Parts: sequence; C-alpha cells; structure tokens
Amino acid sequence: MAVNQGYELPCDRNLELVWERLDLVGEGLADEHELTCPHCRTARESLLALREATAELVLQTEQPPPDLAGRIMSAVRAEVRRGQMLSLPTTEAGVVEVSEQAVAVVLRYAADAVGGVRARRCRVRTVGLGDAGESLVEVELTLAVSVRASGGSTMLDLVRTRVSAAAAARVGLRLVKLDLLVDDIYEVEE
Amino acid sequence: MTVETEFVIADAVVASVAARAAAMTPGVVRLEPGLKGLVTAWSRAARQRWKGLDPAPAEGVRVRTAGGVVSVQVDIVTSAADQAAAVGQAVQRGVSRAVATETGLVVASVSVSILDIEPEVR
Repeated sequence: MAVNQGYELPCDRNLELVWERLDLVGEGLADEHELTCPHCRTARESLLALREATAELVLQTEQPPPDLAGRIMSAVRAEVRRGQMLSLPTTEAGVVEVSEQAVAVVLRYAADAVGGVRARRCRVRTVGLGDAGESLVEVELTLAVSVRASGGSTMLDLVRTRVSAAAAARVGLRLVKLDLLVDDIYEVEE
Repeated sequence: MTVETEFVIADAVVASVAARAAAMTPGVVRLEPGLKGLVTAWSRAARQRWKGLDPAPAEGVRVRTAGGVVSVQVDIVTSAADQAAAVGQAVQRGVSRAVATETGLVVASVSVSILDIEPEVR
C-alpha cells in the first residue's frame, strides 16, 4: 500500500512535510504558507488530534496496532478528501458521492496514457446538478508535452477524448467543460 | 401461552453486517475508516480485548437509528477498473439487502462516499 509516500495536499504541500513540521508550527515557527493555507490547517488539526488519540492508546494497550503509521496517514488523507465531494447518479435511497481528488487522479491518469503528454495539475469544480442528481463538473487540466511530439492539436484532441471517456466510464460523471492548458514542454530521455 | 420476545439489534451489529457486505461488493478495494472510525475502532477493540473478545470489523461504516429508522453511511475506496457510480450503487443495494436478511431491520437509506479511486496496475 503506497499511502506512506508522496501524498500531496491540494495546495501542493506534501503530507509528510506537514507531519515533520507539526511541532515547528506549534512553536510559532510557521512559514507564510502554513499560516494561511486551509488545506495545511485541516491536515495539521487532523494529525494533532490523532497524535493525542494515539498517545492515549499507547498508554492503554501493550502493543500499538500493526501498520499504525500507514493507517494514520490513510485516515488523514481521507479526512482532507471528505471536504470536497461530488455527487454521482443513483436510483437507490441515499447518496453516492466521490471526492474531487479521487476524480482528479483518474483524469490525470487518463491523460498520462496518451504518448508524449504528462498530466500535471487537475482542478475539478462543480457547476450544478444534473437530472439524475449527478454533479455537472468543469475540469481544468494542466499538461506538459514532449518536444518530440508531433501534431499538437491531434494529440490534445486525443487527450480530450480520453479524459472525457474516463470521467464517464471510470467515475460516472459528465463533464460540461474541459480546459486543457499546456504550460510546459519536456525533453525525452532515451 | 406465548412469550413475547423482543429482539434489540445494536448499531454495532448492523455496522458489522454492513461493513462485510460493502467489502464483498465487486469493485470495492477496501473500506476507509477515517479519523473518527480509526479511534472508535481502537477503543472498541481495546474494550473487547479486555473482555476476551475479538471485535468484528466495522471501520468505515456509521449507523444511525432514529425512531426505528436505520440509515447507514459507508466510506470506501474503489478500483478504477469499475465505474465508481456503479460500484457505489451496488454497495447501496448490497448493504441494505444484507442488513435486511441478517438482522431483519429495514434500512431507510445507504449513503456511500468514495474517498479514493485506485488506478489499475498497468
């Protein structure tokens, strides 16, 4: 399970960094980003709450549960994600919803599958609700393309097709708008 | 002479049944306990171990009973091989069916939160 490595918050800070700097921030040594960023604050509050809870548990039980750190990180990630949810269509009683970040991962993955394209940042925004109760979403996807990639517009058309298809087939969302921003080119190492 | 018997089914039992049904639904990778779930599960485990019992897992499931109406909330991680919306709906169906057949309680609603979608391994 890859929960321990490289989880980024929506503000691009790494969760591990937040964990490392937890005490520094507590001592008033926060940098400017940490003072203002709501995502970092949510993560910090979650981590502090957990640290307290686990400290109590360590006193109570002889052995901490297996894979403690992994489960804590996974729980904190879940907590950060829970903030931004999109609703999906369902005919049953109750709600089915999916986190924006999970959707962003799926869409980035779909774009990455196109040769000569690397997906960078993916923003998902809800703009309304459809007839079946599903969220209507706008997506802005930032890409880097290979210098060797030929036929830029066909390639971007392919990205557009793949990303829309992934949204429908993998998630069940309908995209009302998909903006592709190419903000970098990269060299291919061979 | 008939003896009237009343069965009371605790929320924890409903949660365990729901958790098993959800975890068995195709497309569900695992249940996601979250912070509250993690802490509750640990304290419940500690309490039960003290009594010499191993608790049935119910992490990632919250059950609310109000006026005899049961509603269930499940937090899951799905696989990108299946459509998240379809998996969510299958979990809703599976959980209400399992709770109805195993406890006799009627579930008014099952809400599913998909917190993560794990990409397929290429």
